[in-house]
Amino acid sequence: MPAEDHVSPVTKHNADETAAPDRFLSLQALTKRYGDTAAVDAVDLDVRKGEFLAMLGPSGCGKTTTLRMIAGLVPTTAGQIVVDGRDLTNVPPYQRDMGLVFQSYALFPHMSVAANVAFGLEMRGMAKADIRARVAEALQLVRLTGYEDRRPGQLSGGQQQRVALARALVIRPLILLLDEPLSNLDAKLREEMRNEIRDIQRRLGTTALFVTHDQDEALTMADRVVVMNKGRIEQTGTPEDLYERPRTAFVAAFVGRTNRFPGTGAGEVVHVGGVTMRCARPVSGPVEVMIRPHRIHLDGSGERRADDNHASGTIIRTTYAGNVVQYDVQAGDTVFNVEQSTDATGALVSVGTAVTLSWSVANTLVFEAAP
Amino acid sequence: MSAAATAQGPAQSPRGTTFTAATLLVPILLINAIGFMLPVANLAVISVSEIRSSGAMTGGWSIAKWTTVATDPFYWELLANTVRTSLIVTILTLIVSYPIALCLHRMNGAWKSILLVLVISPLLLSSVVRTYGWIAILSDRGLVNSALAALGAQEPFRLMFNLTGVMIGLTEILMPYMILALLAGFGRLDPRVEEAAATLGAPPYRVFWRVVLPLSLPGVALGSLLTFVLAISSFITPKLLGGGRVFLLATEVYDQAIVTLDWPLAATLSIIVLVVFGLALAVYTRILRQIG
Repeated sequence: MPAEDHVSPVTKHNADETAAPDRFLSLQALTKRYGDTAAVDAVDLDVRKGEFLAMLGPSGCGKTTTLRMIAGLVPTTAGQIVVDGRDLTNVPPYQRDMGLVFQSYALFPHMSVAANVAFGLEMRGMAKADIRARVAEALQLVRLTGYEDRRPGQLSGGQQQRVALARALVIRPLILLLDEPLSNLDAKLREEMRNEIRDIQRRLGTTALFVTHDQDEALTMADRVVVMNKGRIEQTGTPEDLYERPRTAFVAAFVGRTNRFPGTGAGEVVHVGGVTMRCARPVSGPVEVMIRPHRIHLDGSGERRADDNHASGTIIRTTYAGNVVQYDVQAGDTVFNVEQSTDATGALVSVGTAVTLSWSVANTLVFEAAP
Repeated sequence: MSAAATAQGPAQSPRGTTFTAATLLVPILLINAIGFMLPVANLAVISVSEIRSSGAMTGGWSIAKWTTVATDPFYWELLANTVRTSLIVTILTLIVSYPIALCLHRMNGAWKSILLVLVISPLLLSSVVRTYGWIAILSDRGLVNSALAALGAQEPFRLMFNLTGVMIGLTEILMPYMILALLAGFGRLDPRVEEAAATLGAPPYRVFWRVVLPLSLPGVALGSLLTFVLAISSFITPKLLGGGRVFLLATEVYDQAIVTLDWPLAATLSIIVLVVFGLALAVYTRILRQIG
């Protein structure tokens, strides 16, 4: 298996930032400025060996620029890129040993699949027989044995992406860099490739950095997720951290669906358009309140605790989506989006029905409103 | 869309499409027949016509010109000379045009448009004017030799009225065509693919040899074909810069038709030029199939 000779097979699953700060990849105040605008603004980030890290953010947030700086394709404006104790900031891309997988695959259209995968090994001056063996190994890894002589143009999108993956992995890269590798695939294939990339990465123990704008991809694949916005890191943490304990309103809104209400804090309670609710921490002044739709219960559903928040309202819209039903509930001046999982025996609550909503204080996230 | 409509659609459209395509082709077919096929047939007829020494046609037939051309080593040498000169001009044009085309291909925005216009602008001048421009530069007292003399050169370099002058002039005159053809053929060049090669360990020169050059071959083939054909048929530049000392098929056709008034020989040589074109096209098609 590629990469086993210089990468520890140990994979760390739960990222605990205080334990053994293994800084395999370390970005220090990494900055990229185009004219006056900073595409990447003093980003600090440490990645452990063998870790699968996702960089998540909307387009233009600087995640791809960061990745391309690590690959050496974009010169840095300031800051440092250190890998395994070695400063790579000014090393040209062809001496960095990074395996990059592009969104557009970027296969060599004039070469066979085998020649594509062999390219990186050839550049390293490896003997022909060794190259053949390593290429066969890599193609087996991505389940493309038998496709050696095909041209990229004769393959499907998923197959091309697997060739690109094999081509990047066969050189046993220091870090596997994936730039939105699944965006050009259809939904079903995307899910399949998600698991495949994850399995291969775990098996080889390769450190991987995955850039995506798709929060599902980030949450399901990564050990740790970095949420970026406007060239800065908003929050770094496990998928659970980001979803349950978002540190900023941006993270709460970007990771997962959420109700988002403007409100006014008054100590332990917040007033939101005619509804008063208690929140986890004392706040005052203008705030933003966020509640996940599936954490709100209708009438009898779910466990009820005495100290839950409540609101009475009327259902104004019902949207059936197979696995879930979405209800829009008017309570006071506020429309709550509520999501319930469906059940073969359960009936939909029809429009116009008066209901009582309840949700726990822990699920009532409040953030200082942006000035 | 109903099932009946979907079933009917494909059955109907090919017939309609063929008809429309045929109709659209009629004008160009007419122009081609009147402007090209007919004259070429006429050339063939002239090439086997008998003439008196005055140049007047007798109305009889003769294959004398064909046998002359086939047996006289002068014409074989003329053919070899023409093909060799055109090939050298093609290669020179390719070498000087390729970096310009690659640079243009990679540019964006306003600068790309400005430079593209600059590249094409020589085509706004007739090649006669441009050839005279080269005379001003290449003559014994021209720009180059004056500069060399100022630097201490004793004798002026013979840069024109010989093959060197013809090749210099033709190379510059054909560059815009080559650059445009290269640009048209650079479609497969993708900066991401070059980046992929770099991250896999290829330094810039190896990226060029292994990725950029192979992917640009369709453009190279197209540009070379175009330049070769234009070089072989070019007449004014060899005539003026060659000063009557450079013999090529095109200039010979002119001399035979206008000076000697030997139309059958001129027609015979013209057909030979046409055959060379056909061969060049055949080679191009083969190369394209191999690299495609």
